[in-house]
Amino acid sequence: MLFHFALIVGISAQQTFWIVAQGYTSLPHSIDPFSRKAADALTIALGQNLGLSNPARQSLTGYLHSAGIEGGYGFFAPNVPSSYKLVFELHYPDGHVEYDLPHVSGTATGLRLVSLLDRIGRTQYEPLREVMLIMLAYSAWQEHAGAATVRAVFGYVDVPSLSELKEGKKESYNFLYAYDFTFPSSSNAPPR
Amino acid sequence: MRLRQRIIDFLFAPEPDAWLTLLRLGLGLQIIFYALSFRHDWNIVFAAEGSPFVSRDLTEAIGKIDNPLGPQIGWFIVLGSHLGLSEQMTLSILWLLLLGAGGALVLGFFCRSSAVIAWLLHLCAAQSGDFFAYGVDNLMTIGLFYLAIAPLPDRYALDAKLWRLKRIDPARLGFHRRVLQLHLCLIYFFSGLTKCLGAGWWNGASIWRALTRPPFDIIPIEVLASWKILFPVVGIAVCLFETAYPVFIWPRTTRLVWLAAILAMHMAIGLSMGLFLFASIMFVLNVAPFGPRSAIVARQHTPAEFWPTATAASLF
Repeated sequence: MLFHFALIVGISAQQTFWIVAQGYTSLPHSIDPFSRKAADALTIALGQNLGLSNPARQSLTGYLHSAGIEGGYGFFAPNVPSSYKLVFELHYPDGHVEYDLPHVSGTATGLRLVSLLDRIGRTQYEPLREVMLIMLAYSAWQEHAGAATVRAVFGYVDVPSLSELKEGKKESYNFLYAYDFTFPSSSNAPPR
Repeated sequence: MRLRQRIIDFLFAPEPDAWLTLLRLGLGLQIIFYALSFRHDWNIVFAAEGSPFVSRDLTEAIGKIDNPLGPQIGWFIVLGSHLGLSEQMTLSILWLLLLGAGGALVLGFFCRSSAVIAWLLHLCAAQSGDFFAYGVDNLMTIGLFYLAIAPLPDRYALDAKLWRLKRIDPARLGFHRRVLQLHLCLIYFFSGLTKCLGAGWWNGASIWRALTRPPFDIIPIEVLASWKILFPVVGIAVCLFETAYPVFIWPRTTRLVWLAAILAMHMAIGLSMGLFLFASIMFVLNVAPFGPRSAIVARQHTPAEFWPTATAASLF
């Protein structure tokens, strides 16, 4: 039990220090280096710096995920992030363009789509981001199989603050990345 | 020695199984709602190909890098293929099993097996759908993990009526309840602390952003703008209720007030942002260990008891 709670406290504290070290909080930046050191020390204590093939790390990670304690509890903290948006531009051979959004049938699954877009937005590794987007684009293309190319435009939604709303500012969509994908019309298999 | 005894008394305070009944019923209903919320999309979301999301193969491959021992939907797909079942058929069976486990938990039928199956299948879904998981999955895993290791069945379960099982040691029941209570305290403390570190929670900007952020923008922005005076108050209240939860949830004089405030907060989140599954799991995780019975009946053991008297007196 002590071990279990040490893990919960260790992981939650490590994530809190990491957030402070990244400068996401309103605390003075002079404490960022201390927070970084504390987060690093906890990372070592939790065995997260061991090699991925290390059996101790694998066992610990397996336990953490099984108990649901692999992450901290900073929901919408310290600040509420912007939400991401993905728009597909479907370009047809005759030159006309249609627009579509990723969609699912259930509202609850729609919330999961938001999580996926957040995940894509946070992904720093560009090839992985591209693979995730190509899968979403392929799904859109299957519903519009006549399209020659699909452009996946990824951005974030900027919601006006209260004062900006008073000045008449509306919600805006800000561009982050765009990828063009061409799918072979004769094949049902997604491009690799 | 006295401190050690007090800790033992606190952790193993005898407890009837009413809290476990609430946890079993609540998590059973939660699993049913979770499965039903996925009913149209389960098979396509977890398909290796043709998913409107990211392919399960990719999610599982990336998940295996960090957590190679973690259970995945893919395990069952491979097993099903050995038995001649298609991927879609196996996925349908898994969904029905999950729904069935939820129903069995509500009835209290084969409690232990149902709790383990519900935990395992939900964990598989959370791992194989890691890219589109959110807070509710994490909290459901926590609840189901504790239920799977809890001293089941409780006296109101169908199992207890059918098999005439012997009564569970109340000290064991008390220990499992304490573990869940302490975990909940840590969840709220760190959640509240991290919020306190962001300026937006003190001036109301985070409340505004949370309520206007798509797809949580259920309430029209013009209506929200007319409530602007409330946002800083609500933001500070959220910080206060969460961070101070581990302090005020224990004394009998403040427990009911704090529990009501936290439940009201989760109800407001559910209604104003459409996060119904999140609200319901937080209801279950709060009401089961700190529920009305324990708030009304005088408790003999609180954390204050193993602190020096002066410190306890100054705190409470």
